[in-house]
Amino acid sequence: MSKRIAGVVTLGVAAALALSACGGESGGGDGGGADKAAGGSVTLKLVAADYGDGPTADNSGDKFWKGVVDEFQAANPGIKVDVQVINWNDIDTQVATMVQNGQMPDILQTGDYSGFVKDGLLYKVDEVLSPNTRSDLLEKFAEFGKVDGAAYGIPFVSSARALFYNKDLFTKAGVSEPPKTWDELKAAAEKLKKAGVTQPFGLPLGQEEAQGESFLWFMGNGGGYKDASGQWAIDSAQNVETFAFLKDLHAAGLTTPNPGTKDRKTVWEDFAAGKVGMVNGGPMSMPIFEKGGLTNYGVAPIPGKGGPLDTTLGVEDWIMAFNKNGHQEEIKKFFDFFYASSAAQKISDTYKLLPVTKSGIEKLSGDEKLKPFLDALPNATFYPFTDPKWSEVNTQIKQTIGGAVTGDPAKVLGAIQKVATAG
Amino acid sequence: MQQTSPLTRAARALAPLAWTGPAVVLIAVVVVWPVVEMIKSSFQKISRFGVVQGPNGMANYTKLFEEPDFPGVMARSVIWVVAVVAVTILLSLGLAQLFNQRFPGRRLARWAMIAPWAASVLMTGIIFKWMLDPEVGLLNVVRRDLGLLDALGSTEADQLGQASTAMPWLIAVAVFVSLPFTTYALLAGLSTIPAEVYEAAKTDGASRLRTYWSITLPLLRPALIVATLINVMNVFNNFPIIWVMTHGQPGYSTATSTIFMFILKGSDIGESAAMSVVNFGMVIVLVAIFLKVSKWKNEVS
Repeated sequence: MSKRIAGVVTLGVAAALALSACGGESGGGDGGGADKAAGGSVTLKLVAADYGDGPTADNSGDKFWKGVVDEFQAANPGIKVDVQVINWNDIDTQVATMVQNGQMPDILQTGDYSGFVKDGLLYKVDEVLSPNTRSDLLEKFAEFGKVDGAAYGIPFVSSARALFYNKDLFTKAGVSEPPKTWDELKAAAEKLKKAGVTQPFGLPLGQEEAQGESFLWFMGNGGGYKDASGQWAIDSAQNVETFAFLKDLHAAGLTTPNPGTKDRKTVWEDFAAGKVGMVNGGPMSMPIFEKGGLTNYGVAPIPGKGGPLDTTLGVEDWIMAFNKNGHQEEIKKFFDFFYASSAAQKISDTYKLLPVTKSGIEKLSGDEKLKPFLDALPNATFYPFTDPKWSEVNTQIKQTIGGAVTGDPAKVLGAIQKVATAG
Repeated sequence: MQQTSPLTRAARALAPLAWTGPAVVLIAVVVVWPVVEMIKSSFQKISRFGVVQGPNGMANYTKLFEEPDFPGVMARSVIWVVAVVAVTILLSLGLAQLFNQRFPGRRLARWAMIAPWAASVLMTGIIFKWMLDPEVGLLNVVRRDLGLLDALGSTEADQLGQASTAMPWLIAVAVFVSLPFTTYALLAGLSTIPAEVYEAAKTDGASRLRTYWSITLPLLRPALIVATLINVMNVFNNFPIIWVMTHGQPGYSTATSTIFMFILKGSDIGESAAMSVVNFGMVIVLVAIFLKVSKWKNEVS
């Protein structure tokens, strides 16, 4: 079963950092030392991204964190935690503002940590996480928390992806089972087209998440953003061939029109509305599909050129500790508490995200729907986001890679490769 | 007469400061300071979270000018400004003329004209994007019902998906949101033209076209210049319409310099600042050219 899951994990959104500016300055000073000397309570400032639907929603990040913090404070009377939850769209800029103003939080939970490392703002993981907790983290995920051999980012949650298909449309088109190879995918798409489906395969290569969709397709042909030796290989022969296939698919009218301008959200909504036959998605897209009225869908591994993917695109979000306020001991207590508590399961239940610890996977293994994703997680593949060039490359991919479906794949991918290898 | 003390004289000399001071401070803080900061940033190396890592010389500018998409983006920005402003002014001249006539329901029509102005530009962009959605967009449904479109969800239904059809729509929406202000500015200009000059023209037997060309337009010139100037700056810096409707995609083919600047911000803040400076320079150059061509000094001042 594990071979069948392809996942790609992308947690929601891009993310970087967030901080919010309120409060906290008064307790600051020289940080931990002074606070401890006074024997009084220490206030940790925690800034987190909102995985829910906003501050008033039942699943709001505020409510989730309040639950965690209340429990923690009850167990640790000397430590108070101030939580500020910021939505994904704003968290990057707000955190950047906090950093620029020197009002760092103690703990930040968001989509990326690497940018802070260079500026020397973070504690190393072994300074704030006990050995027990460290060994519980999935190795492949923890590995990506390292910059130049030293770990700074602590995996927070993960996600995975697979192929979703509309069972009603498949029946209508006479396709009996989900495709495993590109040829089967094309054949199925042709049948769907004949049956009147406007977008047989939903292909969002627009600004929102082109880097994820492209990566899934690259993996299906043994390609990727980097080669085995860690060098950028965006215009590799496999990748060019991959886009030649997609170009062919698009030219035959079997995909979303003009994929290079379509966001994932739009295509998922079209899938939910029954306009799309197949689309790549993850646990996080299930609520969107169901909200849109589509319940009769199936989940299958993502087709590759010769067979289904044996890896999953791992996407993880991070939690990290800032060193400016010097609350090392308190942060450590909080992290150890968090990873030992039921919080991971609560995140998974509430937000359809996956855990990053062995014990977390254990706890969820009873869920049949999630099992394929969980099985695939330990063998995940990741974006090369620890490479300092990644943010620039990512921006370029998001903006231009869709052009490879209408233009010359080698030229478009070559231009991105040039950005990756410049300077 | 008693001599005024030096103190009183000094106070009197400084009195105007109390009136101009706040404005000067406001301009310094709100306009000059950010401009200085922007120019400074464009010469610095800045991490992607905004931490300054040191001076960067001209590197940000070199990198910007070497971007393969830079020339296209700049050319498109100029076309965008010229097209949107020209169409807006032409339509507004007609609309202002119309609204200057007496006709039943004029008050209502004038009110209706305000609507695109009152709505947020962002909302207008989103609404147009919806109407143009290839699967469910109202305009596409109408086109299909009229037999102009074979199928929803097709490439032809996706007009925002290609630069050749997306650009005209973007321009149309920009014109739509610029019309109210421009029309009202011109309407105000029209109402300042005294009726006697028209009567005189009539007495001299001038044709309608001749009257419009030789009397209305010249007398409307101050209003026309102000309206054009403000539009040039607004349209050049317009961000929401394009961002909401196309993100500048496919590729950068519908991106103007403002959009390009925002995209660059995601990868290199220093380069983005350099783009801002270039943008700022462009606006000044465009405005200078326009003022020169329109010989505004003779007219406005």
